[in-house]
Amino acid sequence: MSKHGTQGRIDPITAKVIQGALENIAIEMGYKLMRMSHSSIIRESEDFGAALIDADCRQLAEAKQSTPLQSGPIPGYIRGMLRMLEERGETIKPGDVIMHNDPYGGATHGPDVAFIVPVFHEGMLAGYAVTTAHHLDIGAHTPGSGGIVDAIDCYAEGLRFQAIKVYEEGRRNQQVWHMLRTNIRLPDLVLGDMEAQIAASRIGAQRHLELIERYGLETVTAATEDMFDASERLLRSAIAKLPDGEYSATTYIDGFLDDPDPARRDLPIKVTIRISGDEMHVDLTGTAPQVSDRPINMPFKGTVDCAIWLSVRSVLLDSAVHGEIQQNEGLTRPIRIFAPEGTLANPIFPAPVIARFCPGIELSNAVVQALSQVVPRQVCGSCGNGGGLLLAGQQGENFWLQVELFSGSYGGRWQMDGMDSVDVLYANTRNNPIEDIESHVPLRIERYELREDVAAAGRWRGGIGSIRHLRFLSPGSASVESEGHKYAPKGLFGGADGTPSQLIRVKADGSEIQLPSKVPHHPFGEGESIIAIRACAGGYGNPHERDPQAVLADVLDEYITAEQAFSQYGVKVADGKVDLAATSAARAA
Amino acid sequence: MKLFGVDVGGTFTDVMYSDSVAGTVIIHKVPTTGDDPSRGVMTGIIELCERNGIDPAQIDYVFHGTTIATNAILEYRGAEAGMITTKGFRDIIHIGRHQRPQHYSIMQEIPWQNRPLVKRRFRKVVTERLAPPNGDVLVALDEDEVRVAARELKASGVQSIAICFLFSYLNPDHEARARAIVLEEYPEAFVTTSSSVVSQFREFERFTTAAMNAYIGPPVRNYIRQLDNALRGAGMKAELRIMRSNGGVATPATISEFPVLTLLSGPAAGVLGGALCGQLSDRRNLITFDVGGTSADIGVTNEGRFSEASARDTTIAGYPVLVPMIDIHTIGAGGGSVAFVDAGGAFHVGPRSAGSVPGPAAYSRGGQEPTVTDANVVLGRLDKDNFLGGEMSLDGAGAQKVVGEIAETLGLDIDEAAVGIITILNSNMANAIRSRTVQKGIDPRDFSLMAFGGAGPLHGAEVADMLGIPEVIVPAYPGITSALGLLASELKYDSIRTQFQVSDALNLERLNADFLQMEEDINRQFEADSVAAADVTVMRFADARYIGQGYELRVDIAGGSIDADSMERTFEQFHRAHEAEYGHAFPQSPIEIVNVRVTGTAPSPQLEWPKTKGEGSRDKALVKTAKTKFRVDGTLQSFDTAFYRRADLPVDSSIAGPAIILQLDTTTVVPPNWSFTADPHGNLILTAGVAS
Repeated sequence: MSKHGTQGRIDPITAKVIQGALENIAIEMGYKLMRMSHSSIIRESEDFGAALIDADCRQLAEAKQSTPLQSGPIPGYIRGMLRMLEERGETIKPGDVIMHNDPYGGATHGPDVAFIVPVFHEGMLAGYAVTTAHHLDIGAHTPGSGGIVDAIDCYAEGLRFQAIKVYEEGRRNQQVWHMLRTNIRLPDLVLGDMEAQIAASRIGAQRHLELIERYGLETVTAATEDMFDASERLLRSAIAKLPDGEYSATTYIDGFLDDPDPARRDLPIKVTIRISGDEMHVDLTGTAPQVSDRPINMPFKGTVDCAIWLSVRSVLLDSAVHGEIQQNEGLTRPIRIFAPEGTLANPIFPAPVIARFCPGIELSNAVVQALSQVVPRQVCGSCGNGGGLLLAGQQGENFWLQVELFSGSYGGRWQMDGMDSVDVLYANTRNNPIEDIESHVPLRIERYELREDVAAAGRWRGGIGSIRHLRFLSPGSASVESEGHKYAPKGLFGGADGTPSQLIRVKADGSEIQLPSKVPHHPFGEGESIIAIRACAGGYGNPHERDPQAVLADVLDEYITAEQAFSQYGVKVADGKVDLAATSAARAA
Repeated sequence: MKLFGVDVGGTFTDVMYSDSVAGTVIIHKVPTTGDDPSRGVMTGIIELCERNGIDPAQIDYVFHGTTIATNAILEYRGAEAGMITTKGFRDIIHIGRHQRPQHYSIMQEIPWQNRPLVKRRFRKVVTERLAPPNGDVLVALDEDEVRVAARELKASGVQSIAICFLFSYLNPDHEARARAIVLEEYPEAFVTTSSSVVSQFREFERFTTAAMNAYIGPPVRNYIRQLDNALRGAGMKAELRIMRSNGGVATPATISEFPVLTLLSGPAAGVLGGALCGQLSDRRNLITFDVGGTSADIGVTNEGRFSEASARDTTIAGYPVLVPMIDIHTIGAGGGSVAFVDAGGAFHVGPRSAGSVPGPAAYSRGGQEPTVTDANVVLGRLDKDNFLGGEMSLDGAGAQKVVGEIAETLGLDIDEAAVGIITILNSNMANAIRSRTVQKGIDPRDFSLMAFGGAGPLHGAEVADMLGIPEVIVPAYPGITSALGLLASELKYDSIRTQFQVSDALNLERLNADFLQMEEDINRQFEADSVAAADVTVMRFADARYIGQGYELRVDIAGGSIDADSMERTFEQFHRAHEAEYGHAFPQSPIEIVNVRVTGTAPSPQLEWPKTKGEGSRDKALVKTAKTKFRVDGTLQSFDTAFYRRADLPVDSSIAGPAIILQLDTTTVVPPNWSFTADPHGNLILTAGVAS
């Protein structure tokens, strides 16, 4: 490495010390928010974000604990908030706390509400400390903030906050809080979470200010500019290693499979990556037109951009290979993104967007598949999509609500099988412990296991999806927001395609009904249940090249049958052993 | 009382002998015997006895810290284990919380999927189901299925079996019955139940802890048996006590049943040892700072009390483990931490370590990358002729070469690069301390930094400066603090019950009944260890949270019969603790008691530490004067620095820095603007501010 081009504005030691301190602050914010928050979607599922932003709306550091799709969009929230304030001729003052969730103003979708605390140094705005979190309810037309799949426009998705000051110069704006309390279901939990967000953002702002006071704004700014430049160079050097060219991939979403309107189903998401030197241009031309009255559109800023940034870095700057690299503004600079207006990937207001999560995963899948053409040993077969199930009900005077985030699964990888039953790509949430759920809401979990006999074959097989069976112990309701019931995750380089997801409603008499991947709010009776069967991801490489001992292990572990070992892998298993002669013969044939 | 403390490390087995009547302490070091560590333990004890004319038969206790269990997990080298679990839930320990360890990685491994503690083929399911809130039997246990599963597991050759049923923390009967059946079918097996290992909710974490107990059970049980036999074989009558990660010790019988309790006991003993040394000099607010070649372990004792790690933060090798542990924050920062410039031009130090092989370039073992140790050599803080008491010489030219190379890349001169490496490392360590103090409402300026391990005393003063900590203490034997900690440990048992009770609808009857039951359990354990009830101190705690939250804070609960008033005090304490921990409280919100805990401790014999005799003098201790470099007031300067031999320092006489103090196990750096005193208890006290 030559000195040229890496010479920073300040010495690299001070730069590193300041960067470490910024990271430490973001982690503290995340730690406190996660532990203080009241609802399981934040503290168990970890569906929240925390980041420090500079005065130019650039991300300085994010909390490690947060899920990527929460912290990633935060700079966009700030830009959206500023645009709104400017339009209204308002300014930010010390002591303000600003609430923002406008999906056409930088937010990823309405339930992910940001609380923004400005940092003032010597009377000047020096940055922001921000937390975002997925709230259980923000007053949509049906209970909860997931599975709102029948919202016909943005207005139906719940309350929209465009740069609303919940504190003005330190004074609590009670009127806003009264309105929140009136219009949100479960106000104690949701408002408690909002308070926790504000407390965590304030801590971040205070620490950020202490850092600026200690080193001086000029030094802190120089350190962060150097940090952006270094991150940018890191990604540019990774892109520069790739051959110039154009690489495309298309994935499909179900949309609304039970809908008579063909424009609402079987929708392509097309990604074309053009690499030229150390730049990457990602073009989404060819992606389906927006669905103007169903909420599966993806905000261009907040979802599409983050999905692309985060998938690209997970492949090119994989933390298992490169070590931990802070997500910051610099890692977005070498990537330009284009999506035609009026498509799923760049919808026009007021097209609804609340269920943008699953389309975003398919977009990420398409990015990884396109990159498989250039870095085949750094990618995986297509991943099984996630999504979620929202369950609610009334017990006496108490309204209860449970969010069940689905896991997905990872495709097979070079020298490694895919990860089984995990959250995928730009999301990394957690399930709720069964012993916690049943202790707090009237649900019984009847089963939570891996699927058997459907894993996608490959030299390295695809990750295996799970089965989760939930039963209502008292009458309630459910809504579902998922994907991948029709389109199986694709295999790579000769690996088999995966197995789609399914959702089954079991009625009290035991009869079963197959549900599509999107189900709006629907009542369920006592004793009825839902079985969520999650996709198995795509395999990687020719199954006949899989180590016979690994095939045997899969048979012994009952992931596949002995028959499948033979028919898919050409491996003869008998008496708990590999029959080497029969295997050689089968594989030679 | 005559006591031994024996701590088995990766390279050396440290042996410490204490005679409380004669007031003597003797230390000895022997190589660790990898294949069977008990041989090294015995060699150390026997050699020390022989050399000092001690009769092994007169020894009362042997306190022992072992890494057998920890290593089995880290190296994935335990027993073939099986599991019997609730039907429908075969893959709880494989799916986990459906979260990946890393956000931004396709090629990552998931420890519990890539290295299962119990393979799926050995996970059997049986019909049974319990339900909250009281653990009522929803579906009766199918005993025939248990029997069949036990036979199958026996036939497949597993050595140990974990029985893991949902909600067993509310009602252990099904697990206990299944265990009895398994033992009928397979009496030689090591059989464990999840509720006996930890009676706490969250199935993935509890099942994993039980699976881990099964995985390490057979090797630990064998080891303890071998060691006990060897002690008897040497004619010793001493009682053996094994160190636990909660800072207490337990009997061989307990550890043979619950080996998972020993995980990470080494660092716990270190914190204990550090605290003991602090206590000798009457310091009760300590931040222990144990820095070796690869990692730094940070612990906090506040008014003499350790904080215990939150159950959700305790992991080993990436697996969650739900056993009581002293809260120790470990980061990848030490003498071997490698400095490098990444492809984007950013400068990093650690977390990767050169370890001891190839090690720092200065070790001449093939290390080609600059490490923290090399930077210390370049700056003159580590003396190439006086490293480890002169037992190992350092390659100054090698250090100059590798640090010079990175300096070139960074466009800095070599001294600036060297001080930069140390500054980044120190800043990482200061951030780690900040996360355990400032971020939890604790002001580090009220604490002393207890620096030990090979590299702690090298960096302690500069780290303290970054945090405004006014004082650094270096104990007499900074390299064997764990062995010392063993001698300071107490016999300690814990009991835990999940409650899920809310403050506005408390069932006091149930609380009182549970506490009585738990205290009986604990007393029974002490009785089995022949400890009189009068010698046992019992404390009660609650893990509490605001309703809806997922993380608990620990608060005290009064002894005796609990009433609404005493619980009110607990809740008030909770609000205060929440405010301190997070900077915010929710005074209107109801509080949920998630778990209640009882801890019983019985004191071990007290260690008598001989006072240092004041025979040294500054002249006698002075080895040489040489140039070392420090940054003072923003500029890097060269200072004439006195190098002292620690053993010959005068007592109670303050000496101004800069100074370097040499001893066998470490090197202590006293920067300019600091002074130091050797106190009569064997501690070096470094004080910030210019000496008078």
